[in-house]
Amino acid sequence: MAAGSETAASLRDVTKAYGPVKVLDIPRLDLARGQIVAVVGENGAGKSTLMGVLSGTVTPSTGTIEVAGRPLPPGRPDHARELGVALVAQEFPLVGRLSVAENLLLGRRPARAAGGPLGRIVVDRPAMRAEARALLAEAGIEQVDVDRPVERYPVPVRQMIEIAKAWGHHPVVLILDEPTSSLGPIEAGRVLDLARRHAAAGGAVLFIGHRLDEVRAVADRIVVLRGGRLVADLCPRDATEERMIREMVGSDLARADLAPPSSVERSATLSVRGLTADGLGPVDLDVRAGEIVGVAGLMGSGRSRLLHTVMGAQPRTGGEVVLDGADFRPRHPADAVAAGIGLVPEDRKVQSLLPAHSVRWNVTLATLRRISRCGVLRPRRDKEHAARVIEDLGVRLRSPEQPISDLSGGNQQKAVFGRWLAARPKLLLLDEPTRGVDVGAKAEIYALIDEAAQDGLAVLVASSELEELLWICHRIVVMARGRIVADLPRDRFGKEVIMTAAAGTQPAAAPQGKAST
Amino acid sequence: MNTSTAAAPAAAVTDDKGRRPFVRLLLETPEVGVVAACVVVFVALALDKSSFAGAVNLQGMGFDLAQYGLIAIGESLVILTGGIDLSVGALLGTSVILMSWFNVRAGLPPAAAILLTLLIAGALGLVHGLAVTRLKMAPFVVTLVTYTVAQGVTLAITSGTSITGIGGTFSDLGQTYVAQVPLPLILFVVVALIAWFFLERTYAGRQVYAVGGNPEAARLAGIRGDRRIVSMYVTSSLLSAFAGILVLGRMGVGSASGVGVGWELSAIAAAVIGGVSLVGGQGRIIGIVAGTILLELINNGLTTLQINPNYTNIVLGCVLGLAITADRLRARSIARRG
Repeated sequence: MAAGSETAASLRDVTKAYGPVKVLDIPRLDLARGQIVAVVGENGAGKSTLMGVLSGTVTPSTGTIEVAGRPLPPGRPDHARELGVALVAQEFPLVGRLSVAENLLLGRRPARAAGGPLGRIVVDRPAMRAEARALLAEAGIEQVDVDRPVERYPVPVRQMIEIAKAWGHHPVVLILDEPTSSLGPIEAGRVLDLARRHAAAGGAVLFIGHRLDEVRAVADRIVVLRGGRLVADLCPRDATEERMIREMVGSDLARADLAPPSSVERSATLSVRGLTADGLGPVDLDVRAGEIVGVAGLMGSGRSRLLHTVMGAQPRTGGEVVLDGADFRPRHPADAVAAGIGLVPEDRKVQSLLPAHSVRWNVTLATLRRISRCGVLRPRRDKEHAARVIEDLGVRLRSPEQPISDLSGGNQQKAVFGRWLAARPKLLLLDEPTRGVDVGAKAEIYALIDEAAQDGLAVLVASSELEELLWICHRIVVMARGRIVADLPRDRFGKEVIMTAAAGTQPAAAPQGKAST
Repeated sequence: MNTSTAAAPAAAVTDDKGRRPFVRLLLETPEVGVVAACVVVFVALALDKSSFAGAVNLQGMGFDLAQYGLIAIGESLVILTGGIDLSVGALLGTSVILMSWFNVRAGLPPAAAILLTLLIAGALGLVHGLAVTRLKMAPFVVTLVTYTVAQGVTLAITSGTSITGIGGTFSDLGQTYVAQVPLPLILFVVVALIAWFFLERTYAGRQVYAVGGNPEAARLAGIRGDRRIVSMYVTSSLLSAFAGILVLGRMGVGSASGVGVGWELSAIAAAVIGGVSLVGGQGRIIGIVAGTILLELINNGLTTLQINPNYTNIVLGCVLGLAITADRLRARSIARRG
């Protein structure tokens, strides 16, 4: 079908490296007009980087990109847009307080705006509204009032508005980053229709997808990325789900032998029954002392929500949690800390560090009350405590008084681990424990987790990196749409099993977790 | 990554050992600049005008320092949590009027008048804190309301005329000297020491920094930040009323006009000059005190030098601009090296 059509965008020898790590390496990729190209791959395979490079938000380390025959200056989103690249991101950069119409025409004037010098400065509201309505109608979005602020609409509608906004730039290349992940089936169908219409009208579509059935249904060509490389270029006929998963996963990692949870008859440290919260559940789950349980799932499947709800950082709407035999109802994370739970959150900078403060302050944050006497911190005790944590965890630094933001990602993360291990919790919740951490530090962190579990700590670890979970966990539960759809013991581990369950193409067949036993 | 962290101490060692860490320590201590500025300004003024370092002038500065310093400390505690309190000056003015009104018009003994006023101020601080934490209102707006209302209350109570005939307790507090040192100055030093102890030596104080530095990280680390924030607003308002006692004692009348007006800006300026970050989470008592002293030295020095008082604000503004620029440059140089 692409025969004879000219190239909409072409990439030559494009690479992107962060330090020594190459996250993208594409010798050659052409997007033809009239074609929908789907890109699939695991988390971290380089999909977002590819999109970023093409839309100008990421500056490639080497290589050239041409859009409709014209070279794209690297790292200039405005130029990329002018050349005809429009990106619909997963997290939509809409201005919540502005109206739908204002958002749709953000950064440009209506085509039929009043002319003259006045029209350049003054907003022509009627023209803006008219054009916004036309855009929404074209995109098949109904019942949206263009004068209402965007933040008043739920996420699926906002996603549709974002798509209409990209559509409004009349792009040559339309990039859709998991456009349907927050949508119901009807809206998702509309988005796929829109992509087809765009291709039929002579545009090119780059479609990043997680739902493999959807990818197969819409794409004319399927490109598989793994570790930043283009490992397969399939036509839909060849691209069975099995084949795609195999290409995404590559060969299975050689599994290290993991010590089983030290004593067999350990009691359950955490026992969750019918837990619900916003976007979560009902979830049933048991974690025994000394056990490392992994939580796998796609983005937005509720991995982090599960951890945050157990921690009391997100309000619970129903269900029961039993911690160490006692009913547990946290109203604030402080309750969870007092009860013996620790949380290493996903986003280190935003959720766990005091970036401007010393390493000492950061590692003692969760144990301040414990190391103080009658509320008074004694400097000596404080320093000794911090020094012990730093030594135990092998954090490499110049001085405990240096700001933690000076440290490398791995050392920062070890400091955060130290903060919690010093609190001697019974249950440790880990959310992406090795994000932004180099390989050496990763191994050290795995060893820390393993060691802590040997001492009887129960660990619940959510991660988007399957290798990580396969490596360190005794058991993996897979989440999809806020629920647990599979519960795999170590002898049934496999990337394909997990990916299949997480993609949720056969939700009915998946077991509802064996936690009820 | 490991190589870079390992290389740092090695580089420090190859440099000459004794001096480098000391210079670095000086560079990394944000308060150094303002303390040095205090010394320089003081010495320069004392050399130029012998009357500047005279006992009478120093005592006068001591009184000033106490009243500005107390609200600067309160203000800084709130700024450390990531908020701001615009009401400190207006509340001080209202406290002066309330106390004299309770004492003179309502016939209450001075102690009761003081207690009642402190209660009212504390309650206001509680309202500020709850509005900021529970209702998630912007601290700027919440305290702006109090700022406006408090000034109105002052006018409404007095109709513009001062209240005279206040009890002797006030002047005992506001005008006494202990071994040539004004009592208010001593009280200020005590409050500063308590604040220092709280911030540097108690876990609650550390948590205040944590909440201001990164509220989400503090929350997920199990810190009840809301309590810390509320208590800092209460403290700020209480310190305003406390400073009001001293001001009333010093003046001897419940003055209806001008007391406390605009003082919140001096307090904020003192905090910023002293190295308190307006984003929250950074700043120490020594800097805040030094910032207040510097402002007072300049203010008083300009009078001593008989410079037209109309120029005072220009100079103070320039000092503030210089301080924040220097702080920014210092932070940037540290960030670059890191």
